[in-house]
This record gives sequence, C-alpha cells and structure tokens, in this order.
Amino acid sequence: MSYWARRVSGAALVLGMVLALNFALFRMMPGDPVTSVMDPDFSPEARERLRQVYGLDRPLYAQFALYVKSTLSFDFGVSFLTGRPVADELRSRVPNTAALLGTSLLLSASLGTWLGMKAALRRGSLLERCVLWSGALSFSFPSFFVQLVLLMALASALPLFPLRGSLSVPPPEGGWGFALDYVHHLALPVLSLTLLGFGGWAIYVRNLAVKVMGEDFILMARARGLPRRRILLGHVFRTMLPTLLTLLLMSLPGVVSGAVITETVFSLHGVGRFLLEAVTGHDYPAAGAAFFLLSLLTVACNLLADLLYSVVDPRVRLDRSAR
Amino acid sequence: MKGLARRWGFWCLVVLTIAAILGERLFAASPGDQVAAPFSKPIWLGRYLPPTMELRLTADSPSATLDWRYSPPSGLSLRVEGPAGETGRFVELVRPGSPPLRLAPVREGFAADGRDIAFKRSLGLPPFKDASAHLFPERGEYVLSLTDGPSFEGSVVVRLEGGRYGLLGTDQRGRDAAALFVTGIRVSLIVGLFAALLATLLGTSLGLAAGYLGGWVDAVLMRTVDLLLSIPLLPVLMALAALWGRGLWQLALILSVFSWMGTARTVRSLILSLRDAPYIEGLRGLGASSGYILRRHLLPETFPVLLATMTLGVPGAILSEAGLSFLGLSDPRVISWGRMLHEAHSFGAFAAGAWWLLIPPGTGISILCLAFLDVGKHLEETADPRLRRART
Repeated sequence: MSYWARRVSGAALVLGMVLALNFALFRMMPGDPVTSVMDPDFSPEARERLRQVYGLDRPLYAQFALYVKSTLSFDFGVSFLTGRPVADELRSRVPNTAALLGTSLLLSASLGTWLGMKAALRRGSLLERCVLWSGALSFSFPSFFVQLVLLMALASALPLFPLRGSLSVPPPEGGWGFALDYVHHLALPVLSLTLLGFGGWAIYVRNLAVKVMGEDFILMARARGLPRRRILLGHVFRTMLPTLLTLLLMSLPGVVSGAVITETVFSLHGVGRFLLEAVTGHDYPAAGAAFFLLSLLTVACNLLADLLYSVVDPRVRLDRSAR
Repeated sequence: MKGLARRWGFWCLVVLTIAAILGERLFAASPGDQVAAPFSKPIWLGRYLPPTMELRLTADSPSATLDWRYSPPSGLSLRVEGPAGETGRFVELVRPGSPPLRLAPVREGFAADGRDIAFKRSLGLPPFKDASAHLFPERGEYVLSLTDGPSFEGSVVVRLEGGRYGLLGTDQRGRDAAALFVTGIRVSLIVGLFAALLATLLGTSLGLAAGYLGGWVDAVLMRTVDLLLSIPLLPVLMALAALWGRGLWQLALILSVFSWMGTARTVRSLILSLRDAPYIEGLRGLGASSGYILRRHLLPETFPVLLATMTLGVPGAILSEAGLSFLGLSDPRVISWGRMLHEAHSFGAFAAGAWWLLIPPGTGISILCLAFLDVGKHLEETADPRLRRART
C-alpha cells in the first residue's frame, strides 16, 4: 500500500469509528427521542406514527445506514430543542470556532517556538528558567480557571473586554465596525488560549533544540564556519520541523476539547458550546452533529498535517520495507 | 523512598489528604447549610461590614449589649427556643437616642424574620422598608433586653446576618466557601487516584499483551491506541457523563477507559526491549511458560516505571473531572472544586465581584496537580536515574 492509501484509509477508519460511536452513544442516552418531543397523553397510534416519522420503527442496521448516509451529506436533521435544522444552527457557528482555534493555535505555536529556541540558545539564563516554569504551570492550571480569572480581571473588574458573546447586541453597522467588534470579542478568548498553550510548546521546542544542537552534524556545520543564523535555521530548525509537525498533530484533539470549555466560559457562539447545550438538553441530533463536526475537524487536520509532514520529511513517503 | 521526604509535593499531598479525611469535621456546620448572607465577603476583608452575630437572651441573663460599629446588617431574625410558654415578656431594643422599641413577644415557638411583612407591621414600619436597616441605622451602643415578667426556661435567639463570614466568605446560597473548599479536596483525590489506578491496570495488561504476544494482538491494540488518541476526548466524556450517570465512581471509570493509552505504549516498548533479553531467552529455554515469565520476570521490571506513570497520570484525571464539573456535568449534590467554579460562573459571582469563590478552588486544583507532578517526577528519577543526571 502506498503512503497516501495508508493515511487516507486510517482517517476513514477513525471517521467510521466516530460515526459508530456517535450512533451508539446517543441512542443509549436516557429517554427515547420520541418521548422528549411528545405529550405523554398521545394515543398509541399517534406514538407509532411519530416513530415512523423519525424512522425509529426500522431495524437498527437500516437506521445506521440511513444515519451514515445523511451525516456524510451534512444533513443532521432537526434539533429537538429549537425545531430548526441542525445544519443551519451549525453553519453560523463553525466559522467562529475555526477562527478561535486557528488564531490561538497559530499564536501559541509561533510564540512557543520562538521562546523555546531562545531558551535553548541561552542555557541557564533567566529566560530558560521562565520557559521551564511556564511549561510546568500550563500543564497543571485548569484552562477554565485561568480564563475565569482573566474574565473577572479584564472584563468585570477592569472593563477592557466584553463579558460575554461573540458580537455586541445589536451588532454595529458597517463592515469595519462589525469586524472590529468581532475581534474585540475574540481577543480575550484567544489571549487566554495562547497564554495556556505557549508554555507547553516552548518547553518541548527547548528540549528538542537542546538535543539537536548536541548532534555531531551541528558541530560539523560550526567547524565549517557556517554563519550562526544559517546553522540555526537551516540545520537545527530544519531537523526539528517534522517533529514539531507531529506535535501539532498530537495536540489537535486537546485543542478541540478546549473549544468546548473556552466557548462556555466566554459564552461564544460556537460549536463547542452548542455541543454542551445539546448534551445537557438531551438534543440528540444536535449533539451528534456537533460531535461529528469536531471529530471531522480533528481528522481533517490530521490528514493535513500528514501532507505537510511528507513535504518536509521526504523519508516518510517511502515504504517501511524499502527504508 | 528517602528522597521523597525532601520533596515539597509529598508534604503537600500529606496535608491535603489529612484535610480530605477530616473534611467537614473541621467545621461546625455541614457544608451544605446556609450559614450567612449570599456572597458574604471573607472575614478578613471589608472591616466596615458587620460579621454574622448571634445573641442569646435567657431569664438569667435578660440583656445583651451590642457595640455596633458597622453599616446595617443585611438580615435580622429572631426566634424563641425551648419551653417558654406564655410569659407575657417582650424583647426590647434600646437604640442610641431613641425610646425602647418592643420587637416581639416571648412566646413558645415564636419566630420572626426581618423580611416578614407581618413583623414589619407590628413594628410600625412600611412593608417595603428593610427592617434591619431601620433598626440599626447608625453606629453606637445598642441594648437588647427582655422586659420583666415570670421566669421561663427557654431562650430567645437574635441573629444578625452580616456581610462577611468565615475564612473564605460564602457562595450564592450562603454556604461557607471554606467548608466547600475542604470538602472538595476529597472528590479530586478520589477521582484522580482511582481513575489513574484503573488506567494503569488497564494500560499495563494491554501493554503486556501487545508487547509480549506481538502479531495481530499488537497490531489491533496499537491501532486502537492511535484511534483513541486522535478523537477529541472531552466531547466523548461529556456524552458518557450524561449517559452513564454522574456519580463519582462512574466518572472515574469513564476517565480511566479513555486514559490508559500512554501507559500501554510505555509498557509495550519496555516489554519489547526486554522480550529478547538473554535471561528471558534462557528462561524460555528452561521451559518456563509465558504466564510465568510475564508474571515473575517482566511485570516486576515494569513496576518502578508504572508507579511513576500512575502518579503522573493523576493530574490529567483531576483536570478532566474538574472540567466536566465546570461544564455542569457532575452530580449537583456532590461538592467539588470544579462544581464550585461552575456555580461561581453561572450564578452571578462575577456580578457580585466575588473573587473569593474563584481563586481558592482554582489554585487548589493547580496545587494538587503540581504536587502530583512533583512526586511523579521524583518516582520517575528513582526508576530511571539517567533522568536525574540529564536535568543538571
């Protein structure tokens, strides 16, 4: 099997697992979907009709096939709580979540990489100690706690940022005013996620850079009299790049999980909070759809990272046996 | 084990465990009881706010003097306890610069609250005015006393609700935040330790199987590990917590089912490196069975590493539990740190500026996690002394 066939089939397997899990989980939830939408006084005939409308009278495998088909065509059914199509509800939320996660991941990764490289270059300095500490702290501080403290300090006590929501109510007129308002609301969540994320990156990059800088080929490059900058970028950083991409890939599920908490704390209009509301409200179609979307996001990013990986590290494209 | 006593994390865990075992016994009231006005400040904050006071008047000591140096109390209640019968006596309040005011009759079972309209009317107050602000308008010396009359055995309890209470103030329901904080330690410890223990057991057995048996068992298990690692964890946990119920033990079980992967990988690689070691080959040559080799030789080799991975796994479980509780997916009757933060976030602690409901549980979680990380790092260094040299 070629490299790409293996990668894509792996991603498809994960997606299949997610679908099956989704189907099983939300069907095992307490409460029949039918009982949640109807009055207990309905006649048995009406109940039966409702079950037919929802397709609950068919055998389980047929339900599953139907479920897979409709999910893959992004038809998530109608929300039990709002009565509107779930796809419509989600469409307005996906860009918000993508903006939040994308910006914060980019910021924390670049800040962390920069600080980590600096720390590796200045072993034993104050900066290095700060990086090590910030890494340890970011692993043990619950994200929602840091965010709550930031919210209380910078939005409640010192009203620099809005307390809740993705936009002001009502949103300001005009393109620029709208964009500015959006950024203003997104600033604190992104700041908090960056603060929480960069420490882990920095500590990892520092450890990796220290290891690579001890290798013989760096000594050789230095002996050849190459400029320092070129050694750092062309040799040290180039060697680290594939590993950093793997790290990015490994951190994605956690980042997606973080969206649920961040959007809850800041009351953002995003997929994560939608999922929470759906789970607590026993809204199965909505919860299933949000879960599927979050998983799809993860799987898609995994594939993308694989693609980048094969570009920066040509060795992985070779078959394992050939290597 | 000698170096453990020199780690701050170890002593921190000892102190927290003792606090968790003592729990609510450290406090007079049960942590679920209302003890003071909602969002009372900590006692060491805001000296102009009155603390909560309780005065007891009996037939033997019929009067009490109150040196009032604060703004008006936020609430006032009065009740007659014990056998009093019909005494014909009254509770009187002497205010600075005004005539004595008859508050209430001393009659068995009598109770009144500053918010009752009937009580306000009996004092001649308009129904919408705050009784406590009217009765304690300014600073000065107040005297509460019983008028003369026949002796009786019960007592009259006058309670003035203050604006500050206890070490850490109170929450939105007027519960003692310090008692909640101490009670919350137990949940974090139980869930963290139990989930980490289960995950280690699961990870060890699956890792042993994958590493020693190899072949398709190894392939299937490692694929499963990759799969579980690439699914966003929190949404699954949320669904499962809503599905399986929200009890502590269920939560620990759910957490462990989704956190055994790291241990399995570690154990597998360790077993792979040991499997073909000459002494294992020798054992096999002597006719030892697989079970015997696994149990008596390979498993003990993994113990030091396992102890370290287990300790390092506790913070993850604690943070996951806190996250789920913060999202409101835990049992509302179980007091935990995550639950405290959830209630602070959803029930108006922000509007009240009640930071004392936010900082203690959050730092509690962090300190507990850091302590486990510290001890775990020590255990890791003991298991693999190379790490210690690399650190310097």
